[in-house]
Amino acid sequence: MYSKIKLDDNKEISLKKELIDKSDITYVYIPLFNCGVECKCLVKKGKKVKKDTIIGIREDIDFPILSPVSGTVMGIEKRLYLNNSLVDCIKIKSDFKNKSETYNEVEDINNYSKSKYIELLKRFSITGMGGSDFPTFLKYKNKVRTLIVNAVECEPYITSDYELIMHKASEIVDAIYAIKVINNIDECYIVIKRKNKELYNVLKEYIDFYGNIKIVKVKDYYPAGYEREIVKNILNVNYDKYPSEKNIVVNNISTIYSIYKALKYNTSISKRIVTLSGEMFRTPVNLLLRIGTDMSSVLKRLDGYVRKTKVKLVSGGPMMGYSLEDDNLVVTKNLNCILVIRDIEEYDENPCLKCGRCIEVCPMKLSPVSIKENLSNPDELKKLDVNKCMECGLCSYICPAKIDLRSYVRAAKKEVNHK
Amino acid sequence: MKFKVDNGPHVKDSDNTSRIMNRLMIALIPIICFSVYKNVSIIYRMDISILEALKPLFMILIAIFTSVITEFLYSLFILKKNKKDLKEYMKHSYAIFPGLFLALVIPLNTPLLLVSLGAFIATLIGKMIFGGFGHNIFNPALTGALLVTTAYGSFISGTSNLFELDTIGSATPLANLANFNYVGTFEQIVGKFGSIFNYIFGTIPGTLGETNKFLILIAFIFLVATKVIKWRIPVFYISTVFVITYIVSLTNDIGIWYPLFHILSGGLLFGAVFMATDPVTSPITPMGQVLYGIGLGILTTILRFLTPYPEGVLTSILFMNMTVSLFDKIGLKIRNSFNKKLIYITIFILLVISTGFIINKNLNKDDSSVKILNVIKSEDSYVYEMSSKAWGVITANVTIKDGVVISVDIVNSSSETKWSHIVSNDYINKIINGQDNLDSLDAISGVTITSDGLKEMVKKVIEDYGDKYER
Repeated sequence: MYSKIKLDDNKEISLKKELIDKSDITYVYIPLFNCGVECKCLVKKGKKVKKDTIIGIREDIDFPILSPVSGTVMGIEKRLYLNNSLVDCIKIKSDFKNKSETYNEVEDINNYSKSKYIELLKRFSITGMGGSDFPTFLKYKNKVRTLIVNAVECEPYITSDYELIMHKASEIVDAIYAIKVINNIDECYIVIKRKNKELYNVLKEYIDFYGNIKIVKVKDYYPAGYEREIVKNILNVNYDKYPSEKNIVVNNISTIYSIYKALKYNTSISKRIVTLSGEMFRTPVNLLLRIGTDMSSVLKRLDGYVRKTKVKLVSGGPMMGYSLEDDNLVVTKNLNCILVIRDIEEYDENPCLKCGRCIEVCPMKLSPVSIKENLSNPDELKKLDVNKCMECGLCSYICPAKIDLRSYVRAAKKEVNHK
Repeated sequence: MKFKVDNGPHVKDSDNTSRIMNRLMIALIPIICFSVYKNVSIIYRMDISILEALKPLFMILIAIFTSVITEFLYSLFILKKNKKDLKEYMKHSYAIFPGLFLALVIPLNTPLLLVSLGAFIATLIGKMIFGGFGHNIFNPALTGALLVTTAYGSFISGTSNLFELDTIGSATPLANLANFNYVGTFEQIVGKFGSIFNYIFGTIPGTLGETNKFLILIAFIFLVATKVIKWRIPVFYISTVFVITYIVSLTNDIGIWYPLFHILSGGLLFGAVFMATDPVTSPITPMGQVLYGIGLGILTTILRFLTPYPEGVLTSILFMNMTVSLFDKIGLKIRNSFNKKLIYITIFILLVISTGFIINKNLNKDDSSVKILNVIKSEDSYVYEMSSKAWGVITANVTIKDGVVISVDIVNSSSETKWSHIVSNDYINKIINGQDNLDSLDAISGVTITSDGLKEMVKKVIEDYGDKYER
C-alpha cells in the first residue's frame, strides 16, 4: 500500500467560462515529430495541400502526418514542441476552405472490419491525445478483450477532457460502442473521477441506450489517471510494459473522439480543446484550437498573463508538464493544457531528512531516496527497479527538503539503460 | 519572450523541513512546561530557593544555548562559512534540538556544567563531525547523554542530597524494580510511587521529558497526524516491550499491571515517540521501520532485565542507530513480496517470544531480598556479611555468638534507605534487644521497608546459624 495524494486540483477556474473557439488562424505549423521519432517531410514549398493530405511520414512504422487545413505549404520553420525542444515544423498557409481529400459521411459506423478499422486509425493518424502521442493503431493489433476509456484527468488545472465530454458525449459513446463491435471486445469501461457527477450523468444518458458499457468511478487522487494505475484499479492486473500484453487497451477519451471522426466522417481530427489556466493567467478558459496553432499568436489575442511577478509557462499539467522557454509553442494533438504559474524563485534544497515520504507516495513502490543515494552504482540501481518509474513526480512534489527526486531517478534510468 | 525552465513538478507540497521541525517543537512545549511546573510545585512545598525550583528551565536553556553556540562556532571556524552562508546554514540546521532533547533525557540532578558539556558533545560528536543535519548516524542528544552519564556518572549521583532523594531525584520506579530482581508485588513495584494516575500524569521520579505519559501520548497523536514522525517505530517498539513483559508477568503469575508498568515507567514512551523516530537516524522503508521497532523492543527489555542498567531505552536506541542501514536494506529487499514480509515478521515475532522466555529463565527467582554474602568465623563468633534489598540496598556485618546476635554494623547503605531515620530511632539496638521476638517489633513509620529489611536480615542470620552451627 502507498498513501494516495490528493492535489489541489484548481479545475473549476477554467470551467467558469464557455468554450471559446480560436481555430480561425492563417498559419499552422505541423511538427515532423511523433513519439520521440523525427519524421520525413513529403511536401515541398508552394505545394497545395488539402485537409488530410499526407505531408510527412514516420518511416519506421509507416505512420503518416496529415495537414489539418487546406492551403499552401510555406516551408519548414522551427517551433517549440511541448517537451520544450525546438523541432522542424511544416508551415502551411490556410485558405479557409477546409477542403478535404477523403471526407465521406458513413451511415453505420459499426460495420467496419477489424483490418479496415486499423487501416483507418493509421490513415487518419490517430494518436494518444492524453499526452503520449503514441500511434493508436499499434494498440489494436493484438486481440483486444477489454477497452478502458480514460476520462480521469488526474492532473490539476486540466479540464479539456471534461469540456469535451460535456459537448460530445453522444459521439464518444457511439464510438466506444462501434469499437467494441468492430474488435469484438468483451468489456468496456469509461473511467471518471468519483466527484465528477455531471460527467456521470451526461455519459449515463447515452450508455443506457447501449448497455454493456460500464462507467467506473475512481477516487480523486494523483495519479489515478495513469494507465498502469487504472488497469490495476479496475481489473487488478499488472503488466510489464504495455497493457496490450494482457489484451487490454486504454484510450484517452479525446482519442476516442478522434476515432469517431475517422469512423464517421473519414477525416482526421483538426481541432482540439486546450485548457489555458494557472494562477497567473487572468482569464482561465478552455479554447478550441486548430492543430498546428502557434500559441504566441493566441496568447496575444487573449487577455494575456499577469507579468507583475515572474511567471513560468508550462505545457501539460503541473506535475508532468514541461516548463517552456518561449511561448511559440505549437499545438499538437497531445497538448491538453497550457499553464501560466508563479515562478517560485528557487526551492531551497535542504539535506534529506530521511522522512521516507517519497517511498510512501510512490505508486510504483520504488524508493526514490535510495535511488538518489546509489546514483553511481548501476547494479544497485537495477535492483531498485528504476525502470519501473513512470515519472509521475510525486516524490519531488512531496519531499519536505524540496529535493528534485524525479530528476535523480531520470538520471538513474539513463545510467541503467546506458550500460 | 523567455521564461525560466526547470524540471518540475511545477507544484510542490506546502510542507517543508522547517515546518516539520516547528511541529516537533510544538509537540514538545507542553512537556517542557509540565516539567518546569512539576518541579516548581513540588519545591514550593519544600521551601527551597527559586533558583533550585527553576532548575529544569535552566537545564533546558543552558543546553539549547550550548548547542546553538557550538554549531555556530563549528560552522564559522571549521566549515569556514562566510557571513551570508552562515545565516542560511543556521536557519536550516535546527541547532536547538540536540541540546533540548539532551536536557529532557538527562537526570535532573545533573550539574548544569555537565548539562552544558553534554549539549556540547551532543552537537559536536553527535551531529557536526558527521556532516551536520541530515548526515548523523547516531541520535545526537542520546550520544551526549550517554557520554555524560557514563563518564561523569559519579558527579550525577554524588550531588544527590536529601532534598533530591525525597523528590524527583529519588530512585526511579525502574531502579526500584531492579532492586526487587524485576519481579514483585504491585505494592512493592508500583504502589510506592502512587497509583496508575501518578504514572500517567507524571508525578513520579524521572527525567524532565519522560514522566508525563499523557502529554507524550497527545504529542504522539499530534506528530503522527501531522506526519512528523514515523508511527510504525513507536507502535512496534512499545508493543514488543508489552509482549515480552507480558510473557514474564504470565509465567510469574503477576497481573496485567506488570507490562503496563514497564511501558509507563522510565523513558520508554518518550524515547519511542521522540528519540527512536528521529527521522535522520531511523529507517526510511516502512517494513524497515516495523522490524526496527521490534528490534528496539527486544533490545530494551534485554537491557532492562539482564544487565545492571535498569533503563535501557537510551542505550538500545543508540545501538539500533548503527543498524539502520541494515534494516533499510531488508526493507527494500522485501518491499514488493508479501511472502518475504511474512517470513521476516514471523522470524521477529518468534524472536520476541523467545526473548520473553529467555529473560524469564534468567531472572533471579530468589524472591527473598535478603542474602548471605559471606560468613567469617572469628574466634567464638561468626560474622555474616549480609545484604538486603528493599527500598535501596543495605549491606551489613551481623555478628552472632552462641545463637545470639551481638552486633549489627552497617557497611554500606544506598541513599534511598533514609538511613538517618534508622539511626535517630536507635532501631538497630531495638532489633538486637528484641531479637527473640522480631515479628512483634514495629517498623519505623516513614522507613517501613528499610526497617523490615533489617529485621529480615537479622532473622535470616539467626535461622542460618541455627541450621549450620548449633549442635
